[in-house]
Amino acid sequence: MTPRTRKILEFVLDNLVWFMLLFVLAIFSIFVPNYFQLGIFANIIEASSVLGVMSIGLALVIITGHMDLSVESVAALGAMAVGILFCSAGIGMGLQLRPEWLMVPVSILVAVAVGGAVGLLNGVLIVKVRMNAFIITLAAYIWVRGLVVAVSGGRSAQDLAPAIRWFGIQRILGLPLTAWIAIACFVVFSLIMAKTPFGRHLVMIGGNETATFRAGIRVTRNLIIAFVLAGAIAGLAGWLLAVRTSGATANLGVGLLFNAFAAVVIGGVSLKGGVGSLSGVYAGVLLLSSINTAINLMGLPANFTQVIHGLLVLAAVLLDTLKQTIRQKLA
Amino acid sequence: MRRTLMSALGVLALAIAMLTPAWAQSKGTVYYMVPTLLDEFQTGSVGALEMFLKQVGYDVKTLNADNKTDAQQSQMNDVIALKPAAIILAAVDFNALKPSIEAARAAGIPVVEFDRQITSTPSDFTSVAGTVEIGYVAAEQAEKLLKEKHGSVKGKVLQVLGDPGDPYTLDIQKGFEEKMKAFPEVTIISHPAMQWEASNAGTIVADQLVANPDIDLIFNHAAHLSVAAVASLEAAGKKPGDVMMMSSNGAPVGLDLIRKGWLNVEVEQPLYAQAAAVAMFMDKVVNKQEIKAGEYDVIGLKGTLTVESWGPNIRLPGAAIDKSNVDNPAFWGNMKPPSDTVKAVE
Repeated sequence: MTPRTRKILEFVLDNLVWFMLLFVLAIFSIFVPNYFQLGIFANIIEASSVLGVMSIGLALVIITGHMDLSVESVAALGAMAVGILFCSAGIGMGLQLRPEWLMVPVSILVAVAVGGAVGLLNGVLIVKVRMNAFIITLAAYIWVRGLVVAVSGGRSAQDLAPAIRWFGIQRILGLPLTAWIAIACFVVFSLIMAKTPFGRHLVMIGGNETATFRAGIRVTRNLIIAFVLAGAIAGLAGWLLAVRTSGATANLGVGLLFNAFAAVVIGGVSLKGGVGSLSGVYAGVLLLSSINTAINLMGLPANFTQVIHGLLVLAAVLLDTLKQTIRQKLA
Repeated sequence: MRRTLMSALGVLALAIAMLTPAWAQSKGTVYYMVPTLLDEFQTGSVGALEMFLKQVGYDVKTLNADNKTDAQQSQMNDVIALKPAAIILAAVDFNALKPSIEAARAAGIPVVEFDRQITSTPSDFTSVAGTVEIGYVAAEQAEKLLKEKHGSVKGKVLQVLGDPGDPYTLDIQKGFEEKMKAFPEVTIISHPAMQWEASNAGTIVADQLVANPDIDLIFNHAAHLSVAAVASLEAAGKKPGDVMMMSSNGAPVGLDLIRKGWLNVEVEQPLYAQAAAVAMFMDKVVNKQEIKAGEYDVIGLKGTLTVESWGPNIRLPGAAIDKSNVDNPAFWGNMKPPSDTVKAVE
């Protein structure tokens, strides 16, 4: 194998999930009626904004070799907090701030703070008290959703303040601002992961925590920050969810956790930690979203939708495994 | 020390004595097995059953199954061990709960089916609006709306179901599509919103608006799904009335959307009447007395009671709510519980 061929092959493997996405988009465009149009591609990007942002936080924690099962419930809590404060119907209190634009940063702050607080609690229990991340975040997944039901009483909040809702309606280049927020999050966090010592330390911790500690890196502090970030980002995802649905219901976001895990894994992040890039995760999110959209357009019998969705995710993961095998042979 | 202990026991005895009259007033405890508290109809049913059953002398304790069949089966087993006066069951899964109903009745505990009818095994009383019938009412309204728009019943309908694993939504779909079969010029596109999650409904509507811009009517199987559907319509630059929309269950959010002009019709499940009917017949159920077929006035609604192979079954008509009657306080979505008290049927 010539160095050039090897280089091309490595480039393809490094970005396989993007090629998978292009392949899937091409196939769907050919075979699914009405799929090939700008409006549908805009919908795919829009629909992936919440899942995308949530997946960033999850990926950060998984890269460190841990996991966070609470992100879905934390997003729901963030959405409900925003809904209760800034919605004017249902259980919404209709809080008004002057000038109106002030409601945007305040609502984001509320969602991010709520998520960050849960993330901090998770982080301290896992890193300082040395409890198992799976158990602690599973507990948080349950108690935080319970809290959402308790504070809402099972009722919903609707009619989000127009100043906040504006982000779900206003479009730039055909995409709503919520989608641009998600894209911006991916760019910012990709840069943090690739260009800052903090990002590199997270990858190192995931690769070998003990060696990283012996190298003088503050493992405990970085891990707690990763959990706080995962919570805060999940809170932001909740804010996007509230904007997208113009309010919050008690079951908002149910099922997102498993899609987020699927996106992270498809995106090439190793569940063992130490490997992965956020660019791949975004491609994974877009891939899932394009599959969902195809299912929506194909008019498949309702009962089979979940089966098809699951099988397509499985196919994507199998392809990713094939990629790892080829990479090992190249090494 | 001894004196202190004696005083404490004295206070305790006094407290128990004071509580006794309260116990004496209650005819017993009834357990309500609610399938989930994640939607407003179910949350509302808890309050309505507690209110009406208290009026006829029963205490109500509610257990939430969180939409999990196995959790509801375990709850049934636990409650059977407590020997309550009766169990009110709104089953997560219509068939899976059959053995639990049989076990409760074998233990001498009457079982009342609420909202979700189970016909595969006998129970002591059933109070339903009829999920298939909700589909029928929705179809009548769709027929009316499409005729008003096109002059004849034709066009494209997007049907947003709930979770495809939930028989409730499948029954509504069955009723709706059964009636709409009579109109071959109507195309129905059906998609499920997984786990009844609102943003899933929003995505379906957003995608379909692009793929089928000529959609005339959107029928969401729950009012909370309509909220997300409206958000998607708004994001697509639509104004109230551009696309007709209706949903079912009559939740407060649906009524708000009618007032704002986004929703044309909300098919109501008569929550208060369904709960009141349970209270009206609870004495007969608990005392295992005969329940006679006929028509009964249930807080102003005409309920038809029939004795079926699965037991006495009262069916209450679902109403179509539109702009003309949206403020009627009788609709549970207006959150104004009826002031009339329910009386037990003699």
